[in-house]
Amino acid sequence: MTDSIPVLPSTTQGLAFLDLGERLRQRGQFEAAATVALAGLVRYPALADAHDLLARIRADQGQDAPAIAAWRATLECEAGHVGALKGLAFIAFRSQDFVTAEQYLESAAAQAPHDPTILAALDRVRAAAPVRTTESYRLDDFASGLLLFDAQGMRLTGGIGPGTGEREADATAAEASGLTREADRAARFLGLGAWQQLILESANARVALVPLGSPATLLIRRPATTPPGRLLAASARAAEVSRAWLERGE
Amino acid sequence: MNVPQWETMLREITGISGVRCALIVSADDGLVVAEAAMEGFETTDVAAFTASIISRMQRTAGAMHIAPPNRMHLTAEAGTLLAVAGSDPLWLVAVADPTAEQGRLRLLLGDLAGVLA
Repeated sequence: MTDSIPVLPSTTQGLAFLDLGERLRQRGQFEAAATVALAGLVRYPALADAHDLLARIRADQGQDAPAIAAWRATLECEAGHVGALKGLAFIAFRSQDFVTAEQYLESAAAQAPHDPTILAALDRVRAAAPVRTTESYRLDDFASGLLLFDAQGMRLTGGIGPGTGEREADATAAEASGLTREADRAARFLGLGAWQQLILESANARVALVPLGSPATLLIRRPATTPPGRLLAASARAAEVSRAWLERGE
Repeated sequence: MNVPQWETMLREITGISGVRCALIVSADDGLVVAEAAMEGFETTDVAAFTASIISRMQRTAGAMHIAPPNRMHLTAEAGTLLAVAGSDPLWLVAVADPTAEQGRLRLLLGDLAGVLA
């Protein structure tokens, strides 16, 4: 009965198709490589490395949309998969979307801070990008790391950064609304007045929460390498953009 | 580190102008482990609310698939609440006026939390 249940391969033999597919890809035999990768995915649909292999083949074939879809599937299987983040950065870079490329690479660097190839790629992206005077504040993009949610924990717009989607954004909105209620309660009860901002820091991210008045709160996520002062400046600017968005009633 | 050393550490934090209290909190149960505070300041409330916020932060971080938070900074109209993780489950916490030197306080809490065990 267990034979009919797709499981992750646990043996060298089970993973052999990854090596074979990769060798074919490196030889430029893309169709054969894709056939191997797809056959492996039929058996192991939850294997992140198999989706990653397929994505690299599609990227080599110049098929950006299928490559992006495969790398997103990789991240669904394994959040923070470094290969997928690097791949998505590569596609963004190739289409000259340097802001998105940098965001994906910063996420990859947070997962693998000592990987010299990621740091070198970051340098290349930053050197290639035109000088930016302002940071990007797009509320309609999951990759922007800007999330608006209401007092009931319902997402209004935005997402929580590169490599994440609707599910993670909705879950974050639900949990963060409880956090904002607790911050509000603590500030008032401790005689600190109304709360204005809450920053939480972890080994791979810095997150700021800013109340925008009823009914919304802004969450902004940045890499752990972002200086605290820059996070504060970015959250202030993002709050302005968010208030304008709320006033327009989009 | 023993209790007298903790108290010395907390007094170093309250030595920064504008800091109302500094305490070591057990985040598991929201209890005060050690404290240094202005007369009449209710550190038990600070500990309970801090533990509650930490618990909520951890859940939020889990939803975001990021590493567990190790630092928190709540800014309000009339003051700030800062907390830095030491060895689990201890957190080093301070409440300060808006006029306190936030950068210095942040650095000191980070340095001292690193030796909190």
